[in-house]
Amino acid sequence: MGLIGELYRLQEERGYLRADDLAVLAERLRVPLYRVEEVVSFYTHFRTAPPPKTEVAICRDLSCHLLECRDYCSRVRELLGGDGDVDVHEVSCLGRCEFAPAALVNDVPVGRVSPEELAYYARAPERLPPARSVHTRRWRIDYCGETGQKYSVYESYRERGRDAAPEIIETLKTADLRGMGGAGFPTGLKWDLVSKEAATPKYVICNADESEPGAFKDRVIHEELPHLVIEGMCLAALVTGAKQGYVYVRNEYEPERRAMQLALEDARARGVLGEHFDIEIFVSPGGYILGEETALLEALEDRRGEPRNKPPYPGQKGLRGQPTVINNVETLALVPTILKNGADWWKAQGIRGHSGLKFIGASGHVENPGVFEIRLGTTVAELIERAGGVKDGKALKAFAPGGASSNFLPAEAVETEIGFETIAKAGSMLGAAALVVMAEGTDMIETATNVTRFFRNESCGKCVPCRTGTEKVVAMLESILAGNGDGALRDILPTLEETLAETSICGLGQVALGPVTSALKYWGDELDAYLAKSQDR
Amino acid sequence: MIKKAETTQTINLTIDGRKVTVPAGTTIWDAAKELGIKIPGLCHDPRLRPVGVCRMCVVDVGERVLAAACIREAADGMNVHTNSEKVERCRKTLIELLLSDYATESLREQKTGDDLLLALARDYGIERSEIDLPTGDGRPQDLSSPVIDVDHSACILCDRCIRACDEVQHNNVIGRTGKGYGSRISFDFNVPMGSSTCVACGECAALCPTGALTDKKLMVPIQPREQLDSVQSVCPYCGVGCAITYHVDRDANAVVFAEGRESPASDSRLCVKGRYGFDYAKHPQRLTVPLIRRDDFYPKGPLSAAVKGERRKKPGGLVDYDEVMPAFREATWEEALDLAAGRLKEIKQKDGPSALAGFGSAKCSNEEAYLFQKLVRAVFGTNNVDHCTRLCHASSVAALLETIGSGAVTNVFADVRNADVAVVTGSNTTENHPVAATFIKDAAADGTTLIVIDSRETGIARHAHHFLQIEAGSDVALYNAMMYVLIEEDLVDHDYIRDFTEGFDGLRELVKKYTPEMAQDICGIPADRIREVARVFGRAGSALVFWGMGISQHTTGTDNSRCLISLVLLTGNVGRPGTGLHPLRGQNNVQGASDAGLIPMVYPDYQKVASPESQKKFEKAWGVSLDPNPGLTVVEIINGALVGSIKGMYMMGENPFLSDPNGNKVRKALANLEFLCVQDIFLTETAEFADVILPATSFFEKFGTYTNSDRRVQVGQKTMEPPGQARVDWELVCEIATRMGYPMSYKSADEIFAEFTSLAPSYSGLDYENLKPAGKLWPCPDPATSDGVQLLFGDGFPTESGRGKFVPVDYQPAAELPDEEYPFILNTGRLLEHWHTGTMTRRSKALDAIEPEATCQMNPEDLTELGVDPDGYVKLSTRRGTITLRARATPGVSRGNVFVPFHFREASANILTNDVLDPFGKIPEFKFCAVRVEKAGPPA
Repeated sequence: MGLIGELYRLQEERGYLRADDLAVLAERLRVPLYRVEEVVSFYTHFRTAPPPKTEVAICRDLSCHLLECRDYCSRVRELLGGDGDVDVHEVSCLGRCEFAPAALVNDVPVGRVSPEELAYYARAPERLPPARSVHTRRWRIDYCGETGQKYSVYESYRERGRDAAPEIIETLKTADLRGMGGAGFPTGLKWDLVSKEAATPKYVICNADESEPGAFKDRVIHEELPHLVIEGMCLAALVTGAKQGYVYVRNEYEPERRAMQLALEDARARGVLGEHFDIEIFVSPGGYILGEETALLEALEDRRGEPRNKPPYPGQKGLRGQPTVINNVETLALVPTILKNGADWWKAQGIRGHSGLKFIGASGHVENPGVFEIRLGTTVAELIERAGGVKDGKALKAFAPGGASSNFLPAEAVETEIGFETIAKAGSMLGAAALVVMAEGTDMIETATNVTRFFRNESCGKCVPCRTGTEKVVAMLESILAGNGDGALRDILPTLEETLAETSICGLGQVALGPVTSALKYWGDELDAYLAKSQDR
Repeated sequence: MIKKAETTQTINLTIDGRKVTVPAGTTIWDAAKELGIKIPGLCHDPRLRPVGVCRMCVVDVGERVLAAACIREAADGMNVHTNSEKVERCRKTLIELLLSDYATESLREQKTGDDLLLALARDYGIERSEIDLPTGDGRPQDLSSPVIDVDHSACILCDRCIRACDEVQHNNVIGRTGKGYGSRISFDFNVPMGSSTCVACGECAALCPTGALTDKKLMVPIQPREQLDSVQSVCPYCGVGCAITYHVDRDANAVVFAEGRESPASDSRLCVKGRYGFDYAKHPQRLTVPLIRRDDFYPKGPLSAAVKGERRKKPGGLVDYDEVMPAFREATWEEALDLAAGRLKEIKQKDGPSALAGFGSAKCSNEEAYLFQKLVRAVFGTNNVDHCTRLCHASSVAALLETIGSGAVTNVFADVRNADVAVVTGSNTTENHPVAATFIKDAAADGTTLIVIDSRETGIARHAHHFLQIEAGSDVALYNAMMYVLIEEDLVDHDYIRDFTEGFDGLRELVKKYTPEMAQDICGIPADRIREVARVFGRAGSALVFWGMGISQHTTGTDNSRCLISLVLLTGNVGRPGTGLHPLRGQNNVQGASDAGLIPMVYPDYQKVASPESQKKFEKAWGVSLDPNPGLTVVEIINGALVGSIKGMYMMGENPFLSDPNGNKVRKALANLEFLCVQDIFLTETAEFADVILPATSFFEKFGTYTNSDRRVQVGQKTMEPPGQARVDWELVCEIATRMGYPMSYKSADEIFAEFTSLAPSYSGLDYENLKPAGKLWPCPDPATSDGVQLLFGDGFPTESGRGKFVPVDYQPAAELPDEEYPFILNTGRLLEHWHTGTMTRRSKALDAIEPEATCQMNPEDLTELGVDPDGYVKLSTRRGTITLRARATPGVSRGNVFVPFHFREASANILTNDVLDPFGKIPEFKFCAVRVEKAGPPA
């Protein structure tokens, strides 16, 4: 077991990580003390002080922010006032945005409950309802349906071994399947590149570290369609020759991890997994940055999750320096269906000239937040409609189509068709497919601050522009909100935004100042109002 | 074992409109450098693996975003713009971002005046006052280290210190703690630097580009480089011979700070002694006037309570000048030199030349060693001249001369990078040869399999792939068993044995009985492990063997070395890259002092005293007739003094009272001398017994050459003026010689060097000019074009038969084994921060601050059993003496063992040690004697 695995075990056993236990561990693993410190201090999951009896974690990020999580949190604190056994703290997005304000009580998800209910559970965590039994919905991509044979696509290729690779790659290329994690890299090309790498061993990794505020579609796929994810990974292994796979899942997705665990056991029992290819679950010790594929690799290698300079890309030098396919949960889950039904079928699933289907989460100010499996080409307006329309019948003010890192678009853009290019053309990005809706009355400066603060909080700190740039902008925005601002932000933001976008090592820093820039672009008057207030003081 | 492959592919690219062709794998940064285009950067340094975190070196390669030049590899057809408007705008913003959080006063700018961030800001015309960004909260300082100031508010998290610590020095102390904007560099578990496992090598501060990590002031305030003189010299401490630039304040006549400089021996690296241990030369206790013992302090004896063997009023520390000085009066040079020469001459006339003896020092230069042995041989008329080599590698040299005909290393330590397997045995390399250890650690991290064999688990063992913690003194049994396995499993190199060795049959016969099963009972290593490690060694394509005092300082020291030599001959590991024998030499010039003939049985360059031909050669050169009989060795001379056969001695820089075994006996011997002249820079314990004390110059106050463990001859430059009336050692030797009737006069050190090299074929062709800047390895047939011969003996050996000789040896236990009365095993040696008898290092502010007190290292379980606290006091007694000192619980010391460093006069390890000798090398058994351990209170 590596360092991170040992730290999990130690914390599980002792409740927290004590310095003397860590020193013994370092000695046993023959790693320097500083390496232990680096890892323990980096990951949110690890604690070096005894835990409270009950820990209540309340999400503070975009979708929950829109549903007044700050007031909610204060109210819960008030209700629990002085209860020394309970620790209430705010955490980064929990990926349960449809239950905003989302919360965990001792790591068990509790959502969409009143502050009073949450306080009740905090005092009596044993009363928490058992994890809800999943009512698996019918998803179009689940070719197995209720009667279909699971893993039949993989089995149909399996006996042909790597001879099947060209056909699989060709189909994925023709279908123009693109990575659904946010970057949209062509999947067929990625598999093709790794397949051609001479070095062995190779690895296949499912990136289930969905942590973007507003994003939760992978969580639903992970829980409801784990067999498709596994099948997608098996096909990637078949194509590339990998023998080992990992599902990298965030630690806040514990119920979903269990679902995946069961599915893996089932796949092993069926012989789908085994000596030829097996999959291990690696639970992320925490942090948005781990969703960045090279940061994820660093974590798998027991280091701080700090993104690598690229190139080389993981396809050439990934896990332990070996060729590695890393795909998003949804991407992997789509592969079996596409191979079964063919590229043409896939393309025909789109509308208005778009091809394919898309899982997308809708949250924020909508009546019925949730994950929707839409045809690409569906408009934002149509999706909002499917989600029950803007909350409380209010007018739409703005939306972020791809989660917190996507630029805000104004209501006028609501007829934008949902697709990689169309949204980019509108000035934002499909990103993590997380539509966050903002109704009239939303304070866009406050919302932009919330989003920027998220990136500041989640910056790994490795490179200068992201580490310091996000902090500076947050500090300036907070001054403005507090009524102490000046006009400096407006002057300096374009240069800062350019510097972060151009010089940050990874996507986090590159996009971190996009949303606030878009907010000032469309709602600059709101900034002026704050500045005017500042001058009045 | 795959080492970095050489690439032959080339890449063509365009940078700022100019075309350049570079080997594949070259970064844009380096490609630009080829064109003379300098790209700014903070986190990158050519000595470090690039990490691309400061982003200052971004360039436009026509992609979606800019690329960091330091880490991005050049690609064919790439069109790079290093200074487009966008690029410069981004760089400027990055500088502003860093400055907005930067310390108001940069300690680096204040000290050495070379803060790279501030320099960059100046280049970009950025005024801090005009930056329109919120300023960051001041982050704290950590001033807990005795040598380095940490200022987190000036830290830009460039990662240089981390790589310096981790990848250059492999000390693995510095990392990052926290995340994001709150991250910081930290030490171990985020403890203050001063209480971390930091070994204060200073590499972090040397590579830090900002005011975050800076050297503390030692003597005079640190000042910008350009205000100081820089002197290219070497380190005065160990046999690694690190190249150093000393930055000197001429007005204060003092070294201000030291920096590593480029050399194949040290690659700009330094350890704590080299970087922070130079201030001893300015200590107020330096001798500045000749001293003569007052009449009322005869008969002679020790003067200070500690040397008398009494407890001092205040424990610890240096020779108490208040206690000792009253015994001496100041004299003129004329008077002191006349007295010294007169008394020595008188003894020579009265009792014959063999009643005289001289101890030179491996701290002195080649020139001084050469001249000193010439004085003893040509003027005293005896070969009774020796020095501390006798106490360190005499047995190794005896074995090497016997088997392969040469006492020096066959390959340099840095070539470990080419070894498949490296063996480090009986060497606490990380403490005693810290910079050589960095090369070994580098190799171990980069594919070389490292085997460490020692009775203690020392720092280097932590980097080993195979660590065998053997029973003390069981070396021969282990190596014989390894050879048994090599022969049994046919892992020997038959061609090599046939072509280049002799005596194999005898070896095969002898090791037959050393089955691993038989050896395991002696050395305590399970038979399977012996087999496994023997196989690793036997299967290596190239193997290099390093050893230290743990091998040599035994009554079986020569036997131990013979075994190592046999292992290497058996497997043909000589004369090729990554192979060889490397006894790591202790003192900065122990190799050179031996080369220069500071040994009783050989003239310069190992020409035998017993050989009439050599005698004739030197008689002709020196114009006198010479004694044909080899002289006495160090311990024999002390024994001679004790029984009265040695009556007069001249000691140049040696301190036998602390360095020689059985100190109580040494005390009696020194007191018994009719006349003792001590030439030194401080009043040493030995000088308490002197009739005349001559104030000499330190390393920093003279020119000279020094030969390191690799056989690298380097020039030590004069760095500052000597204090008071102190004079250069070689001048004093000339004065004594002249006054004794043998006129000696040299204009300068290089004139002496020329005389020495004319008589020492190995040094032939070397002179002060061609030795600059980084020295040469001897032999060096063509100094104009070559660095000297790195690999010796690829085609046979300088023995009579031209072959290397197997000398099979049986295991013999140490001379004094533990028993009921003295149940523990005593082992002695050194600490990282201190040097030999502590005369220099205990007068160095930083080194003394880190290790101020005598301690002994014991296994925690033994301490518990004795009822001693982990840092409580113990009384150690042997058949020869008793000392009391603090214990330090040390898991790396096996149960039943005690390790005592010998630097501390107040608890001198050599009061305890056994002066029994190895019959061949005449080296005492410093590493093994029986000792009793008792709980004690603190010294009164």
